[in-house]
Amino acid sequence: MITIRTFASRAVLGGLAATLMAGTALAQASQCGRKGGDLTFALEARVPGLDQHASNSSATRNVSMNMFETLVTRDEKMNPVLELAESMDQSADGLTYTFKLRQGITFHNGKTMTSADVAASFQRYSKIGVDRSILEPVEKWETPDANTFVLRLKEARPTFIEQLSAFTVPVVIIPAENAEAAAQQLPIVGTGPFQLEEFKPDSHVKLKRFAGYKPDTRHTTISGFGGNKEACVDTVTFRMMTEPAARTAALEVGEIHGVEDVPVASQKRLAGNKDIKLSRLELFTMNVAYPNASFPPTDNPKVRQAILAAMDFEEIMEAASDGQYKLNKGFQFPGMNYYSEAGAENLNQKNKEKAKKLLAEAGYKGEKVTLLTNREFPYMYNTSLVMAEQLKAAGINAELLVLDWPAALQKSIKETEGWNFFYTGWITVIALGGPQTMRQMAAPSFVWKPKEPDAEFQAAFQVLSSGKTLDERKAAFAKAQARALDQVMAIPFGAMPKTQAVRANVEGFKSYYIPRMSGVWIKG
Amino acid sequence: MARYALKRLLQMIPLLLLVSLISFGLIKLVPGDPAVVMGGSNATPAEIDAIRRNLGLDQPVWQQLLSFYANLARGDLGRSLLLGQPVAEALIERAPVTLWISLYSLILTVVVGMATGIVAALRHNTWVDQVVSVVALIGVSLPNFWLGLMMIVLFSVWLGWLPTGGYVAPSADVVGFLRTATMPALALAFLQIGLLTRITRSTMLDVLGQDYIRTARAKGLPETTVVLKHALANVMIPVITVIGLILSVLLSGSIIVETIFSVPGIGSLLGNAILRRDYPMIQGGLLFVAAGLMLLNLIVDVLYGVFDPRVRVDGRG
Repeated sequence: MITIRTFASRAVLGGLAATLMAGTALAQASQCGRKGGDLTFALEARVPGLDQHASNSSATRNVSMNMFETLVTRDEKMNPVLELAESMDQSADGLTYTFKLRQGITFHNGKTMTSADVAASFQRYSKIGVDRSILEPVEKWETPDANTFVLRLKEARPTFIEQLSAFTVPVVIIPAENAEAAAQQLPIVGTGPFQLEEFKPDSHVKLKRFAGYKPDTRHTTISGFGGNKEACVDTVTFRMMTEPAARTAALEVGEIHGVEDVPVASQKRLAGNKDIKLSRLELFTMNVAYPNASFPPTDNPKVRQAILAAMDFEEIMEAASDGQYKLNKGFQFPGMNYYSEAGAENLNQKNKEKAKKLLAEAGYKGEKVTLLTNREFPYMYNTSLVMAEQLKAAGINAELLVLDWPAALQKSIKETEGWNFFYTGWITVIALGGPQTMRQMAAPSFVWKPKEPDAEFQAAFQVLSSGKTLDERKAAFAKAQARALDQVMAIPFGAMPKTQAVRANVEGFKSYYIPRMSGVWIKG
Repeated sequence: MARYALKRLLQMIPLLLLVSLISFGLIKLVPGDPAVVMGGSNATPAEIDAIRRNLGLDQPVWQQLLSFYANLARGDLGRSLLLGQPVAEALIERAPVTLWISLYSLILTVVVGMATGIVAALRHNTWVDQVVSVVALIGVSLPNFWLGLMMIVLFSVWLGWLPTGGYVAPSADVVGFLRTATMPALALAFLQIGLLTRITRSTMLDVLGQDYIRTARAKGLPETTVVLKHALANVMIPVITVIGLILSVLLSGSIIVETIFSVPGIGSLLGNAILRRDYPMIQGGLLFVAAGLMLLNLIVDVLYGVFDPRVRVDGRG
């Protein structure tokens, strides 16, 4: 049996730190400079529902992850960290994970959380969870006693906890009595610092402080999705304001306290406003295009390489982001565990002569290259527009196919003909780390659908998924990335930031993947 | 008249069935799958298939259609794929929002549009007529999203008079309603005011040139009586037709205006449903809006009879 401390040295680094801190942080002071008030925060998208098992929408996550918690989650640096689990032991054969639950955790309905609730949550997730492949390695789970939850895997999967702690569609813990609820019909009862007061679709969601919340005193402050959380305000109202100009105006006049996203056009004006504080996650969205490897001419690797050689990423990112971007050297951002520059020489080549040479070698005869794009996400449309012009300049017969987002997405997923490049943005895919990112291109995949999977990439991905040490997995990631860029399995153009803003009287707000309302307070 | 109305109501049933059939077919023809939208571009094929099964989208189309009609017969429009809420419940929640803003907008349209149209006709070929005509032309030319944003800048940011968005029901707080609904109602009304002004003006000019108006004036009737009693009644027929059309546009909900002002009405509900391919919501919403428009047409037809005895269907009004 490997105890949490041994395990933590490999993966749950935050959990180890937290465990070591346990007991010392108990007497810490409140994180709130002041308690009370209603904080109003504007979201850029409509919240389709609050059932966190059944929605992968970021708008759902933005709100619901202030109410729900998980056994393990991600800390500020995206490392797995224990949340509702007091400890986690991994068996020596890597097949069994035993979670001891934190004591005295209550749900918003007043009921004490036990392992039966955890098991019921996993059961529901395995039936209707959008990202249920997280549980694919799990053979079964057991509840030997009220405070213990055991997961048994079919085979050892060293990256299992990385998967389980992913926040794209997390396995949040709900009361067992709600576990039979159909998708999107879940009563919203969690263990988080806020509880649901009112949800008016297309208008607002109002949360209130959960008086029975038990903070995780192993930490001193909130960290990522976990850590020590404390609700400072009485209520939080998330307003759905999809029009950027209206959202920004509401912030300027003080009608709301914060906004999830500030358009580039408004940032300069707001930066000069002493009543408003801007904060930014510099590396947020990876602007990505991927080719259709089943349809000519992009089924030919030389054509794909010619296309990659022809492109000027700076021009593309300038148009996509209104000038706010950072070029990237691969599929992870600098500072992340799996970051590697392997294969980066293939990016941003701006070499039309090389492109023409590769096209000649490929026997390219002016076949159409269809760029499948949409207008709902302007950065995707602008990327395709500039890319089309650059390809034309290199002698490639590029043309746009503009559909709305659902139609374009469906075409890219279900059809292997009629398109050559598809545009998207990777946010959680990148944030969750190397294995999650490369999973996008590993068979079976919607992104990379050649007639035959790429053996070299698949071999590297296999090691990335099952390598016993982080170093082993990091080396495999580098190999997989080098192969993916050489074969042009996806094109990471660059990173775009996420800029958020709050009024000057709001303290404790820190930009993150969701607007975290714990530790946020309003000055009197 | 009651028999006529009842007959028209009964005629609505097959029409609504036809609408539902056409909308069902059109929805299925449009590419885009709600399971794909819900799963996102990162979902695995197995996950997408599982979502499809959960949503019942793996059933044959004819079975989905039969199931829709079976539910419809029980008054059940199904459940929204995205909101998880019964479609009928969502529509009933949103309908009053759109209805109140539409009525507010209609009142602004009728009062301002008719008044300016009448004044322009009475001051034909004067500077007043020219100013009204130019303003009306601007009204029909301005896109309402631009107008909405400019109003936010003016009334919310610069003057601080009105909130930038949101909605308060008049039953909860009348002042709150007026504060939140004025800008959306104005943004919707501006185009319609321009339209109604132009129609009222041209119709009024026609009527004022008629022999019976000349006779009324020759009899020495005051100009107010000539205009309000004799001319206006005859202006009303085409004006009611236009008002009916305007109201049908307003009642369908404006996706753009409701989005700009964060108003949770029918327009934003259906707009979002279309973007996310929420089939039951689109289907139920279209049926709901179609039924509303048919009722509106019936009301307009009945009103013709009120203003013009010649078109009363049974001669009694």
